[in-house]
Amino acid sequence: MDIEFGPELEAFRREVAEFLDTAPTPEIREAGRKTTSAFAPFEAAIKWQGILNQRGWAAPGWPKQYGGTGWSVEQRYIFAEEYWKRDLPPLLPNGLQMVGPLLIEAGSEEQKARYLPGILSGEDYWTQGYSEPGAGSDLAALKCSAVADGDDYIINGQKIWTTLAHKANRMFMLVRTDGAGKKQQGITFLLLERTDYPGMEIRPIIGLDGIPEQCEVFFDNVRVPQSARVGAENDGWSVAKALLKHERGGSASSPAMYRRLETIRAAASGTPSPHGGTVLDDPVFQRDLGELEAEIAACAAFEKLVISGHPSAADPAMPSLTKVMNSELTQRISVMMTRVAGLEALPLQPEALEVGSTAAPLGSDLELLAMPYYLNSRATTIYAGTNEVQRDLIARTLPTA
Amino acid sequence: MDFTFTSEQEMLRSGLARLLSQTCSFDQRQARLRAGRGHDADVWRQFADMGLLALPFSEAEGGLGGGASDVVAIGELLGRHLVVEPYVGSILLGGKALALAGERAGALLGTVIAGEAVAALAHEERHGIGPLAMLGTTLSESSGTLRLDGDKRMVLDGAEAQVLVVSARQGDRLVLVQVDPAAAGVSITGYTTIDGRRAANLRFAGVSIDPAAVLLDNAEAALDGVIALATLALCAEAVGAMGALLEASSTYGATRKQFGVPIASFQAIAHRLADMKIAWAKANALLLHTTALVEAGKGGAREIALLKAQAGRLGRSLGESAVQVHGGIGMTDELNVGHYHKRILAIEAMLGSTDYHLRRVGAAAA
Repeated sequence: MDIEFGPELEAFRREVAEFLDTAPTPEIREAGRKTTSAFAPFEAAIKWQGILNQRGWAAPGWPKQYGGTGWSVEQRYIFAEEYWKRDLPPLLPNGLQMVGPLLIEAGSEEQKARYLPGILSGEDYWTQGYSEPGAGSDLAALKCSAVADGDDYIINGQKIWTTLAHKANRMFMLVRTDGAGKKQQGITFLLLERTDYPGMEIRPIIGLDGIPEQCEVFFDNVRVPQSARVGAENDGWSVAKALLKHERGGSASSPAMYRRLETIRAAASGTPSPHGGTVLDDPVFQRDLGELEAEIAACAAFEKLVISGHPSAADPAMPSLTKVMNSELTQRISVMMTRVAGLEALPLQPEALEVGSTAAPLGSDLELLAMPYYLNSRATTIYAGTNEVQRDLIARTLPTA
Repeated sequence: MDFTFTSEQEMLRSGLARLLSQTCSFDQRQARLRAGRGHDADVWRQFADMGLLALPFSEAEGGLGGGASDVVAIGELLGRHLVVEPYVGSILLGGKALALAGERAGALLGTVIAGEAVAALAHEERHGIGPLAMLGTTLSESSGTLRLDGDKRMVLDGAEAQVLVVSARQGDRLVLVQVDPAAAGVSITGYTTIDGRRAANLRFAGVSIDPAAVLLDNAEAALDGVIALATLALCAEAVGAMGALLEASSTYGATRKQFGVPIASFQAIAHRLADMKIAWAKANALLLHTTALVEAGKGGAREIALLKAQAGRLGRSLGESAVQVHGGIGMTDELNVGHYHKRILAIEAMLGSTDYHLRRVGAAAA
């Protein structure tokens, strides 16, 4: 065992810190402060990705040959620590953490050459077309169909919860190419080069936080080339399962959680309590903040075990453990933010939440962000496989005898 | 013992339920909020015609002499229909505070009860509610004139009110003063809340106050009574919202199919629904029990604190479960589920948070 990062990494930390101190524009910093979702404000996040990509740092987790950094796990953790200290917007995950790694693993050489550069630079934003109104937790029940016609597929049906589809220019999706046999068979994975094919219609959905983050996408005889397929026809389920691994596992979320905790503590120290003094002086609040930190500490330790290659990483329950811990901690942090904000979390302030807005918030940043963040965070235990489904998966990995 | 509503109250409730389903359906409510018009003047007049606005005032005040159980009977329905009309703000807080001035409230109170004027009570501050010593708004005397200074938060209907009653500390006493919203030194920032109400933050900077505008001196106990009744009404709203969420979630669980079966057939969902039912049963029972205590003159600050804390924490838990059971669709602005949850969250934060009330209960024996 060795807890230290090693002295040579301190130079790396300084290099990262210096870049992150100087490279982001004021707009990017504002977007970071105003991030109330796993998806940062779109335009600023894309600009920031472009800046990071020029430095070669857009995809710390990718292999070097495809434009990744080639960093060790320690370097990646240090990068995450320095990143979150500065309240920078997270990069949009669909390209860099989902379809990119999937293509690296399962795409053809031609697909890699064609799509990876745009994913890295942020020129292309890929929305995920998986869920349908009748296929959520039961994803394999999906019905949106693709029928082969010459060199093309013709797609008919509907997708829902396609995050930021109204801002996307590309889409990866699962379609049904065969209705016979087990429902997991007959699914095919497609890459759509456009989101404006004739017959394709995108409708944004407004969320509890008032923000149109999700969308519905309708397909009416949409014709796409068969070269858009990843893997074999009817083998999309195994392709997608490999991607779910990227969506659920091996994260470094705890530095961002620690940063939120710090923000909560600072805000509490300046908020008057009805019991006298500040909210931070309240022993009940102190106890609950302590519990929150203890939970984050356990999650951080688990993350470090996983990324350092400890046998925990090979636990078949690992992706689900990570998903449950991260999502439920995100929610607890958001509850603590609303608790500190108190009454100040109740006014609707949509203008002040916009990046570049001249509307000043009524109170502090935490008071502005607490409620939208809380409301948006309710989705974390629903998306990427509900936590009920994750607990089933965890239970199935336990000895049964 | 009897914890049921009287037949008169049941008649009032069915009349109100009919009015609300005709005028305050979810779609109508959302359309009004999108148009940014706040409350609907026509609906408000119909509330007045039904006698709802006069209900909680004594006959001497020009009211109908209704009590706590009447307010709760109404409040539960206001929550169930997510009503945005200013019943709590203008009637139970602003109007009832104004009425503390007795005969001096006179004609002005009459216009509030008639629904012609909106009243507001500015009491909560950045720390919420709390002991008198923490009240930061002060009424002070210098060279023979009274001046008001301080900051008020989450003043329901505070930007729309023609009649503004403000709590302030004068030495070691609590006083209620009436302030002209247009007076020099008054600044008002209005907004819509997450649950569709109108509210405002108010700042008073050296506002000069006519001695005749001091509505009540030594007003602490009287104001506690006003806040207790408004708290009961808010808790009734929360219980109404919880009931609506329980029904919506159990119906959804029974009809939404995944893996070929209704999701309520999965034990994880069934137990969550059962916990929601338990939460509603506890909150509803405590609401009705507390109401009966208050009506009998036996419900003090402690009983109100217990109810407020339970309505807040049980309501939040039930609301979070309702969103979870509904899945993605529960996260949308289009469905009423999230709006019920936001109503509960707002109630939890107003007039003392769950944490505040639980600490008060825990700190002092009954």
